[in-house]
Amino acid sequence: MNKMAIKWLYQELPELVLKGILTEETANKLRQYYGEVKSVSKTTAMLIILGTIGALLIGLGIILLLAHNWEQFSRFTRAILSFIPLVIGQGLAVWVLWKRPGSAAFKEGSATFLSLMVGASIALVCQTYNIPGDAGTFTLSWMLLIAPIIYLMQASLPAAIYLIGITVWAGTYWNDPLKAVIFWPLAAVIIPHFIWSLRKELYVLRSIILSLVLIICASIGSSFSLGKTWGGAWIVIFPSLYSIFYFLGWLDSDKITVNWQRPMRLIGAIGLFVLAFIFTFKDVWKFGTSYSYGIIRNISDFSAIPDHIISLSIVAVSMLLFYDFVKRRNITVCLLGAVPLIAIIGYFLKGSNGILPTVVFNAYLLFLSVSRITSGIRNNRLGIVNSGMLMLAILIIARFFDSDISFVIKGLVFIVVGVGFLVTNMALARRLGGAK
Amino acid sequence: MKSKLITGLLLLALVQIYVPLSMIIKREIVLKHGEQFKFRTAPVDPFDAFRGRYVALRIEEDYVPAIKEAKLNNGQTVYALINVDNQGLAKFTTISTSRPHGKSYIQTKVRYASGDKLYLDLPIDRYYMEEKAAPAAERIYQQHAQRSKQDAYVIVRIKDGFAVIESLYVGEQRIEDAVKQGGIK
Repeated sequence: MNKMAIKWLYQELPELVLKGILTEETANKLRQYYGEVKSVSKTTAMLIILGTIGALLIGLGIILLLAHNWEQFSRFTRAILSFIPLVIGQGLAVWVLWKRPGSAAFKEGSATFLSLMVGASIALVCQTYNIPGDAGTFTLSWMLLIAPIIYLMQASLPAAIYLIGITVWAGTYWNDPLKAVIFWPLAAVIIPHFIWSLRKELYVLRSIILSLVLIICASIGSSFSLGKTWGGAWIVIFPSLYSIFYFLGWLDSDKITVNWQRPMRLIGAIGLFVLAFIFTFKDVWKFGTSYSYGIIRNISDFSAIPDHIISLSIVAVSMLLFYDFVKRRNITVCLLGAVPLIAIIGYFLKGSNGILPTVVFNAYLLFLSVSRITSGIRNNRLGIVNSGMLMLAILIIARFFDSDISFVIKGLVFIVVGVGFLVTNMALARRLGGAK
Repeated sequence: MKSKLITGLLLLALVQIYVPLSMIIKREIVLKHGEQFKFRTAPVDPFDAFRGRYVALRIEEDYVPAIKEAKLNNGQTVYALINVDNQGLAKFTTISTSRPHGKSYIQTKVRYASGDKLYLDLPIDRYYMEEKAAPAAERIYQQHAQRSKQDAYVIVRIKDGFAVIESLYVGEQRIEDAVKQGGIK
């Protein structure tokens, strides 16, 4: 149960008892059932946030000061300078583990500072010795040196820095699939920490930030590293990836939360809708399926194997999660989560003109948005109704201006769908009237 | 648990110190004992958020004649043999896929082959300078180049194929001195 909701309930209890809606006994039973709300006090939260931002800013400031490149310093002075910030960062971290092992604020802040100082140190050495503008080696050595901090200090911001760093690293190898796929094992390093942070404080700022960074980095990382060897791989890979976020975001779903507290669910859903919308355009199926960097670069069969293994694993995980939600008969979730399945079928049945998948996706989005509207109305959930209306409006506008279809056909389809709406509306009104 | 974490952190701290330290020592040895070479180059000024401003160096003759028999992939590690011409400038003569003995060479990578030339991805591509000095250095080089005296060159020390940049010269003057004087005399 969401902490906020319990807090709200506890606030209401005295008044409910006072007005005789609940007896004192029931109120106490409720309190016993939900237990004490263990929440981080506002001051502690402020301490963590301000402390971490402070450490982040100071660390970045030191990097900038060193980047100025002080000409008057000799090589020896620079060598010493390379270690001073690093050793201060390390000393601080050791002190925190020694004296304040229980303080999340101290741990997060000092771990962030140390992570940045490792980078400052290597950067200064690179500067002093004019070390070649790497092919990602600078970033990778930095990230490998801070990865253990995540676990030793139980800190999430270093994990976020690490994720961003390995994504940048993968970006430098976007045209070398054998190297870029190493992004995945590197990213897997933070999974235990991510699960730990979710378990520890589900829906709290820090796990939200980490989820956001994870989603963004995994998306960018996939575009750098996957689907380089077969045309149109993105049509299969990206819906699968976003459906994984979406499904994972629904786990623990009995809890009342708002959307921003579940970035995986929210961004997963938006991603799936945007992809499904893109798939309603014929040209995507006609031309987008031949698009791939790898094909231009003629990547041999052998170097494609890791790419294939990871791409297929992502598709497999997505399908397993889909199957799991089908088994649970969670129709609302399954409906949006079906995008990868339909995209895969469409990918194989697209033919030369791509008409079949285009029609299927248009029908799918129409059905999806209408079903959201009706289920929202049925359950009195205005948010769902509005999201359904928005999806429908986007679809209608796109098709109205679609120059691929003749005016006559477009006009007829619009009228038929419109009539369908009116008929449903009338049937619904009659049923509601009958219920009265 | 606490002492385990601290031990872990101390071990990590040692590794974190060892990496930059080993980078420094390796280069100091090359700067002290390496053979000195002079490559003609063209500096331009970009920017790196972490490491500061630098002038990007483009070695003028960054290629060797293509080798017909050898099948080389782009990005493959090779050893480029160095020869010094009568003007004292270093030039690459050929490449070898195995480490040469008794000759001067630089360990590098194949960038791509084009026509009868095989271009190399040389590890001499950045010369870091003070924030304001780097753009000034580029300007000085451009002015100098317009007077058709394209004699900018980089001094490199090489030991066992590992190259470390020592200094950058424009017209017989260290670039830092040229920047301080506000141009080439």
